[in-house]
Amino acid sequence: MAKVQVLNVAVLDNPSPFGNPFQFEITFECMEDLPEDLEWKIIYVGSAESEEYDQVLDSVLVGPVPAGRHMFVFQVSKLWYVWKSFSMPKKT
Amino acid sequence: MWVCIYIYIYIYIYIYIYTHTHTYTCVCVHILLLFFIFFGGGGGQVKHTEGQFPSTRALSCPQYRNTASEILKKKKKLESIVLPCKPIFSVDIHPDGTKFATGGQGEDSGKVMIWNMAPVLRDEDEKNENIPKMLCQMDNHLACVNCVRWSNNGLYLASGGDDKLVMVWKRAAFIGPSTVFGSSSKLANVEQWRCVTILRNHTGDVMDVAWSPHDVWLASCSVDNTIVIWNARKFPEMVTCLRGHTGLVKGLTWDPVGKYVASQADDHSLRVWRTMDWQMEANITKPFSECGGTTHVLRLSWSPDGQYLVSAHAMNNSGPTAQIVERGGWKTNMDFVGHRKAVTVVKFNPKIFKKKQKNGSAPKPGCPYCCCAVGSKDRSLSVWLTSLKRPLVVIHDLFDKSIMDISWTLTGLGMLVCSMDGTVAYLDFSLDELGDPLNEEEKNSIHQNIYGKSLAITSTEAQLSTTIIENPEMLKYQQERQSSAQLGPSSAGPEASAPKLNSVMNGESLEDIRKNLLKKQVETRTPDGRRRITPLCIAQLDTGDFSPALFNSAPILPSGSSMSNQLTSQLSSDSSPGPASSLGLRPGHDPMLTSPPAGAATKGPEDNKDGYEGPPTSPAVLCLRATEPLVIFWFSPSPQSEVRSAAHFRLQDRAHEGVGLQVHGEAKDDTSSDSEDKMASINKNLSFSKRKPELLMDGDGVVEKRKKGRPRKDKMAAPMAQPFMQVAMTPPAEREPSRVAAPPAALKLPTPSIKKAFSLQVSMEPSVFLEVENEVSLIAGSKLSQLRCSRDGRDWNTLLPSSVVTAAGSSDVLAVACQDRMLSVFSSCGRRLLPAIQLATPASALHCSAHFVMALTAGATLSVWDVHKQKALVKNESLLSILSGADTTVSQSLLTQQGVPVIGLSNGKCYCFSSSLETWTLIADKGDSMVQCADFRSCLPTHDAPVSSGPLAVIVHLDVSEIAGRLASRLSSTPHHLQQSMTLAFLENQLASALTLQSAQEYRYWLLIYARFLVNEGSEHRLRELCQELLGPVHKSAATAWEPTTLGLRKRELLREVLPVIVENLRFQRLFTEYQDQLELLRNK
Repeated sequence: MAKVQVLNVAVLDNPSPFGNPFQFEITFECMEDLPEDLEWKIIYVGSAESEEYDQVLDSVLVGPVPAGRHMFVFQVSKLWYVWKSFSMPKKT
Repeated sequence: MWVCIYIYIYIYIYIYIYTHTHTYTCVCVHILLLFFIFFGGGGGQVKHTEGQFPSTRALSCPQYRNTASEILKKKKKLESIVLPCKPIFSVDIHPDGTKFATGGQGEDSGKVMIWNMAPVLRDEDEKNENIPKMLCQMDNHLACVNCVRWSNNGLYLASGGDDKLVMVWKRAAFIGPSTVFGSSSKLANVEQWRCVTILRNHTGDVMDVAWSPHDVWLASCSVDNTIVIWNARKFPEMVTCLRGHTGLVKGLTWDPVGKYVASQADDHSLRVWRTMDWQMEANITKPFSECGGTTHVLRLSWSPDGQYLVSAHAMNNSGPTAQIVERGGWKTNMDFVGHRKAVTVVKFNPKIFKKKQKNGSAPKPGCPYCCCAVGSKDRSLSVWLTSLKRPLVVIHDLFDKSIMDISWTLTGLGMLVCSMDGTVAYLDFSLDELGDPLNEEEKNSIHQNIYGKSLAITSTEAQLSTTIIENPEMLKYQQERQSSAQLGPSSAGPEASAPKLNSVMNGESLEDIRKNLLKKQVETRTPDGRRRITPLCIAQLDTGDFSPALFNSAPILPSGSSMSNQLTSQLSSDSSPGPASSLGLRPGHDPMLTSPPAGAATKGPEDNKDGYEGPPTSPAVLCLRATEPLVIFWFSPSPQSEVRSAAHFRLQDRAHEGVGLQVHGEAKDDTSSDSEDKMASINKNLSFSKRKPELLMDGDGVVEKRKKGRPRKDKMAAPMAQPFMQVAMTPPAEREPSRVAAPPAALKLPTPSIKKAFSLQVSMEPSVFLEVENEVSLIAGSKLSQLRCSRDGRDWNTLLPSSVVTAAGSSDVLAVACQDRMLSVFSSCGRRLLPAIQLATPASALHCSAHFVMALTAGATLSVWDVHKQKALVKNESLLSILSGADTTVSQSLLTQQGVPVIGLSNGKCYCFSSSLETWTLIADKGDSMVQCADFRSCLPTHDAPVSSGPLAVIVHLDVSEIAGRLASRLSSTPHHLQQSMTLAFLENQLASALTLQSAQEYRYWLLIYARFLVNEGSEHRLRELCQELLGPVHKSAATAWEPTTLGLRKRELLREVLPVIVENLRFQRLFTEYQDQLELLRNK
């Protein structure tokens, strides 16, 4: 079993205007103190068939993480970044 | 998303009952289907499975004709928990009867669920929307859960599954209700159960788990053909792995008296294992030879009186049976016959029953009997009484598929049965049907009669519940005790009936937190431009510690890195961010520095602006570690020395720059010169660290350097909490293994080799460091040695004519022994206190404590001097009398704060020289079986912190949790009275040792345990003598030799502490009154 368990992900501000940033309220639990940060990514799954079309919209570090239950809101910081990733699919 | 629908279906079961009058009576049994709970796949759609329930059939098999004299006229409630197509493999009712757990297959994982019992038992609770039905569900198992079992004390839940893991769950009291993953608002988990430990050892699916009586062990069996016994007091420690089965082990049961554990496997055998030595006691194969391995589980069960073991699937004349195995001789003469397919589960009722006394009829002395439920693959369930030849009741076609598990309530009147078809049925019985259950006391007396000891540790209370309290004082104590006892469980107990769903956390409801989370959230940037969010901690983790930190010389840190995390975050909040600069020490090219802890410390969390504060550092955590020998201040490692820990510290005084902290490691194959080279290189590595705050740690603890100057007081102060210092000497025998081989007849103790230079810290508060440099200057051809000492930044030095071999010190005195066998004693300021003492032979070990100096010479003589009084306490006492064995050597020597010398030998014995008796006294013996068998767990004080730092605790090294494991095995093998006397002897030994060691705190501690033990075991004579000794003569007379104090403790004060202990057993209330009155009398005088 993993040290970190995601307990819940709630989509906030849903539905929302096109220009608004995505917001995800994430609750997770950590079994022991983590020496390093956790990295969270928001990935646009372009196709369920293949990971080739995955696009990372944003990523954040979360820390410090002592043992316990934690919560944070992951807000996609810049929509242009999202837009960019939409308009320029990753080349393989 | 789940939806509950209640459907009531009345189904009539026709049961033909063959009565005494040989007529068939038709009895209607209502089966009330209380509710179905449907679980959608998360999409929220409702699945409708009405009519899925089986029709019931008449009992046609002649063997099943019931001969029960009383007519079953019972409304049975049947609860059904439907997970569409998801089998439930296990069910277990919590010992307090308020909830039950189920285990089975979930959507894509194993599923453990905890349910509220109240809606099952009562219709009105079931209809009440406010009473939750499901309390918690846990999806942590990666694959199907095969078994769930509550510990006997109800604190833990163990689950084992196809993912080869055993998980142990504990209720997390401080975490409010949470949601199930994916649901945004609906609260689902009313109670929080957290996995506190994962037990990994099995290489195959875990099929069954079982807690031993008293929760000493947890056994798990697996398809890898093994049974693993875990130490339930020290998870995840494994006690043993029982090998021998040659097939999949599918069921386990403990003997109710804890002497055996039995297992049944697909290899056509049932094996009984002894808990004493974990060897096989019996291998029963005959009844199973025809069995095929077709059942999923083989849950066998032991009767509550311990006399019978009933197996699952066995064959008799090619018919499936449940084999009865007798405890005496493991005879297999009887079996339960009648099921048409293999028996999957057998479960004994936890109660022993006796025949119900009918009104009016003369009371017959009925023999007590047990009740057993047998579930089978043929979907039927039979309930048997050992007093009847035929089953009490048989219920056919209760389920669609095979019965998987049965659990009785602790009252013995209710039973939950689960099935492969994903349903659970509840059956309840009346006293008329089963008989009168014996109470615990009667059950214990049965055990007492059969096995010579009872299971109950404190059975005295139950017996005396009717005793009248005669004394108002006594009444007061009793009431206090009761009120505190009530407070305990009610605060911890589950409010299952109506838990508040909107719990409040930190004064704020979860909703409030969520509303403001984004605004309050702290977001920073790391140096490489990435965003970093500090999460909001909504609940601390209450780590479930299994070990009851008693006597532990090593503390259980809540988690290894919590300290580092906190300290680094504190430090890094004002230092420049970035991992590179967070700490001074990096795992560099030097292999010695890449010890894992140091590496971990370097990777601290980066910048942290909101100043996250973890739990406050408690100095106690650090101080407890100090009972480990403080051997860390060696300068150069001797060639043979072993690597004791990854990094050793040296504190060096720099009067102007403050104290610089340096680290050097010791490698096993280091030569002295080699290590000095390394020292130099490390110093280079660390040179930059002198400017920056740094933090170094090793596995044992954290040493922090302040930004400017000396070591932190609060941390350094901690080790002084112990009443004596055990400084600087590695046991000679360990250091010089080559010399140990010397003929013991010569009684030569090894002497430390002369080093060029060494330093040591002799005292923490005030911090005193000692540095010795041998042969520094040559004056007129003679070499002089320099002794430098720094005390709180002020230092002094002195010169000695000969090379210093060993040195020791306390906060009051310093002593050095030279090569020319001279012993010099200095005051803390460098004043020579005594003229040099000439030792007969070179010094082997030197100790200082308070104002006492102890010297152990190579000629195996011991001397202790009181420097203040300038008197010898022990004069050249020979160790001859204790070093008797062939190859016994001195492994440990120390001096207590009271000037009592203690010598530990390699054979595990510890002696101290009593100067009043002028003889050696044995204070501890590790090989003593008494220590291992003593069982005083029940007498340990609950509120008092155990004395973990006294000399006795250090010497005896009691680890209660370990003892608990060992003793429980003895418990079963030794008769109770023998055990009792052994415990008594052990406690008296401890008491006497504490007295000899003049350790007042420990004396008091053991005295109270001893008193409690006497009270529990009811030894009135000893108790009276103890009280008399403490009270002394009420009327003074010149002739009495009674001392009012012992070790500086007032005896009558001790008696005042002992009296409340006596109250715990009402039997001694006269004794209590007697001494209470006398104490009052004395006080008024």
